Amino acid sequence: MLSLVIRKVWVVLITALLLSVIVFILLRLIPSDPLGMMLPPSATHEDAEALRQVLGMDGSIAKQYGVWLQNAVHGDLGRSIFFREPVTALIKTALPATLELAMVSLVMALLIAIPGGVMMYKFEGRKLEIPADFLLVVLLSVPSFLWGIILIVVLGVAFPILPFMGQLDPSFSVPRVTGFLLIDTLLAGQWAAWWDALRHLLLPAFALALSFSPIIARVLRSSLIEIATEPYVNVVRLRGVSERRILWGHMLKNAALPTLTLLGVQFGFLFGGTLLIEVIFSFPGLGNLMVQAIKNFDLPLIQGVALVFCLLVLGVNFCVDGLYTALNPKLRQA
Amino acid sequence: MTHPVLQFSGVQVVARVGKQEVALLRQVDFAVGKGRTLGLVGESGAGKSMIGRVVAGLLPSNLRFAAGRVLFQGERLTSAAARGYLGKRIAFIPQEPLSALNPVLTIGQQMLEHLKRVGVARAERNQYAQAKLAEVGLPEPAQILSRYPHQLSGGQCQRVLIAMAFSGDPELIIADEPTTALDVVTQVQIIHLLRHIQKKYETAVILITHDLRMAAHVCDDVAVLYAGDVVETGPARLVLEQPCHPYSWALKQATPSLHGNLHELPVLPDLMPGLRDMVELRGCRFAPRCATRNVECESHVHPLEAVGEGHYIRCASACRIQENVQTKVLPQRSSTVVAGASTLLELHQASMRYTIKRADGKKAYFDALKPLDLSIRPGELVGVVGESGSGKSTLARIMAGLVQPTGGEVRVSGIARQGASTQQLEHMRQTVQMVFQDPDSALNPRRTVESLMTQALEIQAGITAENRREQALRLVGQVGMAPDALQRFPSQLSGGQKQRVNIARALCAAPQLLIADEIVSGLDVSVQALIMNLLLRLNRELGIAVVLISHDLSVIRYLCQRVLVMYRGSVVEQGETDTVFSNPRHPYTRVLLSSVPPDDARANWPPAQGSLEAQMALAESER
Amino acid sequence: MTTKVGSGPSWRGRLRRAVGHPKVAIGGVMVLFFVFVAIFAPWLAPNNPNAQDLMATLLPPAWDAGGMAQFPLGTDSLGRCVLSRLIYGSRIALLVAVLAATGAMVFGSVLAVLAGYLRGRFDTTMGFLVGLWLSVPPVVFSMLLMVGLGTGVRNVILAVVLVDWTRFYRVVRAEVLVAREREYVQAARLLGFSHWRTMTREILPGVLPLILTLFSLQMGVAIIVEAILSFVGLSVPSDVVAWGVMLADGRDQIYQAGWTLLAPIGGIIFAVLAFNLLSDGLRVTLDPRLQKRS
Repeated sequence: MLSLVIRKVWVVLITALLLSVIVFILLRLIPSDPLGMMLPPSATHEDAEALRQVLGMDGSIAKQYGVWLQNAVHGDLGRSIFFREPVTALIKTALPATLELAMVSLVMALLIAIPGGVMMYKFEGRKLEIPADFLLVVLLSVPSFLWGIILIVVLGVAFPILPFMGQLDPSFSVPRVTGFLLIDTLLAGQWAAWWDALRHLLLPAFALALSFSPIIARVLRSSLIEIATEPYVNVVRLRGVSERRILWGHMLKNAALPTLTLLGVQFGFLFGGTLLIEVIFSFPGLGNLMVQAIKNFDLPLIQGVALVFCLLVLGVNFCVDGLYTALNPKLRQA
Repeated sequence: MTHPVLQFSGVQVVARVGKQEVALLRQVDFAVGKGRTLGLVGESGAGKSMIGRVVAGLLPSNLRFAAGRVLFQGERLTSAAARGYLGKRIAFIPQEPLSALNPVLTIGQQMLEHLKRVGVARAERNQYAQAKLAEVGLPEPAQILSRYPHQLSGGQCQRVLIAMAFSGDPELIIADEPTTALDVVTQVQIIHLLRHIQKKYETAVILITHDLRMAAHVCDDVAVLYAGDVVETGPARLVLEQPCHPYSWALKQATPSLHGNLHELPVLPDLMPGLRDMVELRGCRFAPRCATRNVECESHVHPLEAVGEGHYIRCASACRIQENVQTKVLPQRSSTVVAGASTLLELHQASMRYTIKRADGKKAYFDALKPLDLSIRPGELVGVVGESGSGKSTLARIMAGLVQPTGGEVRVSGIARQGASTQQLEHMRQTVQMVFQDPDSALNPRRTVESLMTQALEIQAGITAENRREQALRLVGQVGMAPDALQRFPSQLSGGQKQRVNIARALCAAPQLLIADEIVSGLDVSVQALIMNLLLRLNRELGIAVVLISHDLSVIRYLCQRVLVMYRGSVVEQGETDTVFSNPRHPYTRVLLSSVPPDDARANWPPAQGSLEAQMALAESER
Repeated sequence: MTTKVGSGPSWRGRLRRAVGHPKVAIGGVMVLFFVFVAIFAPWLAPNNPNAQDLMATLLPPAWDAGGMAQFPLGTDSLGRCVLSRLIYGSRIALLVAVLAATGAMVFGSVLAVLAGYLRGRFDTTMGFLVGLWLSVPPVVFSMLLMVGLGTGVRNVILAVVLVDWTRFYRVVRAEVLVAREREYVQAARLLGFSHWRTMTREILPGVLPLILTLFSLQMGVAIIVEAILSFVGLSVPSDVVAWGVMLADGRDQIYQAGWTLLAPIGGIIFAVLAFNLLSDGLRVTLDPRLQKRS
């Protein structure tokens, strides 16, 4: 069992390494001169040379990568050209915000998807099936960033219930301990700030959840429909067990596995969604950082953030894998 | 009987098909008493499972209860009441034990949930569960409770299900084909167990089955079901020794026997009516296929009439059927073997060994087939009999050339397969062909019957569409199907028709040897007879040799001159079929033969209980 | 047993059944409408989408008080006609959708059939590669590609193909794995069919419906990706209209002129919904297993 875990961690590390290579090479495919984009128009030849040296772009790609890797292993991911700060520091500030956003959206998504999926399963074969199905397809057709804009227009501008800019009202100042506002505010005992932070999270998280949950609901519904045809469901029914208990005690436990697999896959999409959502809501997270880095052709920053995103996806997959093995009795034996 | 536990009188269940209503169950009459076993015998589509649903009160919403009465312990059984009794007073034993248990819950979780419903106090549940598991013969009940279904064998799962069924001390048990999915030897053990527990608790049991002979031995009374009507009912032995209704009689005739003279199995024309056909049949639903039908049969439904002590049939021309029938005795089987001809297929020490990587990284070996020698001559009819895991399917695949053996060699017409040139391989393909087991999986659902049958022609150069059509017409006639079937798709064919398309496809390559892997298991008895007669005819008229793989001994006996008995990857006995079956020498063969319900309804069956190993040891000691 | 001609799994029968399904019908009509608008944009749009009229900026739609009939849906911050921009924006969307989906489909499906059927080292290597591919969130990946390849619509198409071929690969490969275990595939081999013939005659026809379903789905995805990329300015040059660009512009005027957002939002949702409906309908009608049994 332990050897299995170690093997998986090993795979994750190798994958991360390979990904960093790919990202590295990808960014150096730029047809036009990258330096030109990073320098102000008034730069001289000496400035260009200096920058080239600082960035370590005066060697071969392999050498550059080697340098980068060496630094990365020591926690130094380079220096952002635009922000003039170490990439690691920027990531450290931005990461908790994104994680917080992702967590809250996940919870929201599950709260929508699970009852939603079960309800749609119950509608199967009845009058509400068609309108529910149509609604599902419509919901599936709206990408997260559109949800963001729609929510801002409806719940932020037209009916100003919730805030849609940033993480926290500027009037609050909360000491950073973990970086997670929801925790730090509690630690500092600032209840009003906690509530405010939550309110700021609601719209962006909801936008992400709305794009995430229909897919989960749909898979849950299909799994339930398929499971309903399994022999053991009928056998349990013939033992006199109530339909309710059949659904919650027997069927859902079986539907959990394929749904979990999908959840893992979709989580990667969730992280991708944070890019635009954070931009739209001016949320100071990793996605926002990424977009800014791209707009500025800030290579070291792009590289660092891209790598962190990959690690996040790998991490989620790792957890989902583990959870799947833990829940599936056929895989659990020693 | 004094006071039947369950009684069906004139029960009718109706479904809406388009604008009309069809009676899925039209005239169902039977009764079962306390401590007695009633066999509900019928082929697929007869309505057996529908009866189960009526008793459970779980009729789907598009069906309705149209007429008749169901009495449970003398009181009318309403759907609501039935649902309340489920698990407590009325219990079910399902068909496929491995899929009948929730795979993500432990046995214990499922049993305890049931015991809660049945009303066992929380503190006593665990103990009670263990006691019940011990009662059904499961060793180490505490361990079993913590296991998951996939960690148990089919037989063990069925025992658990039986334990659960009996835990509420029910008055009625409905066992729906409880042994069909199990190995022959396990079947015997389960039947034994069921009877033992039934006697202990004096439960009434309804055994739903398609196996006539088993019903004769296991049940006290029998009701024969055809297309929603009970056509004959009475004491089991009587009905099955001397069936009076034409259908029951035909069913009995179509079931090949293990001993006695070999008669050609008569084949019933057409099929059991489906939903749409039933709408048009006003009178007896068997009439279209019945040789002795008359106008009265076809116009209205006959009531059940007595023809003997407790023996009733629903027929206007009762008991006259046996007079006019002459069954053909089959010719000597060895006459089709061409004397002195070279062998078609030879196996020299062929074996199959799989390497599995274990969880701890070490390698383990699994011998699916131990080294064996075998030769098939032109025109021979050879049977390979064994249970699941015996290696018979691996043998079939090696013979057909689907897999290469890991050891030994295979020769077709004298030339070894391995290392043969492309031309030689093509010739081998024309010598040996295979007919696959599962007709649903064996036919590409997107090809028409014509395209499927002539598939072998696709790789031959210079074949026009016309040629294909000609060939298709020839093949379709050879397997006894109508030409209009050519434009159909597999989804529009019955099981028997699909199997014939399968055979035709193999025939298109004009083989001299057909390897038929379990091609009749899962088919109704009457369809089975048709396929077997087809194979016999192909052997007689075209001289095609057949190797039939099956677990059904009586089928092998009907078809094959020579038989190989396989157990755990080795051939434990081989020889002339009649010799092996009448005088088995290996303990496994003896056990196997004793597990088949004998033709003589009076014989004592089921025999000894216990595990396979114990039985083999017993058989060994009896020598 | 009576059968109706065309009720079996022939292509004619299935197509007939497909068209009858409401999702396919509605989705199909919507798609056709979308294609029509995109192709005939120059004739349908009332104004030049890039013509700026600085005297008529941020006008509300024509039915509103301050609106002008000349600009049915109003104007944006540079006085450009919103309706015309909406109509012209569909051209980019359609172009990207068709080309990117085709590319991803061909690339992904061919590799999937080969890997799923042949298995062996090819399959394991591909599996590893795809696993790697999928570890990068798609949005991040496509943005990285745009940085690496350079901006422009052509590269957007390339980026979508490079990121999304894995969708086709995974799903089609799973189907192929199931199909190849079917006995009719073994039967074909026994009859002497070569690997190539088996793949094209026995396996491919079975997975074709699935591929078509995914194709329609992919077109919707491509439109979304293009919108995202043009939103952040990585797609079209400044003189070309795209819905994402309209969104980016509109976002700056969110308080004053929210309606400039509604047009591109409506356009994107309409187009994606059309393809999703079609895809869903095709999935249900073309897959024989999903046919409801009586």
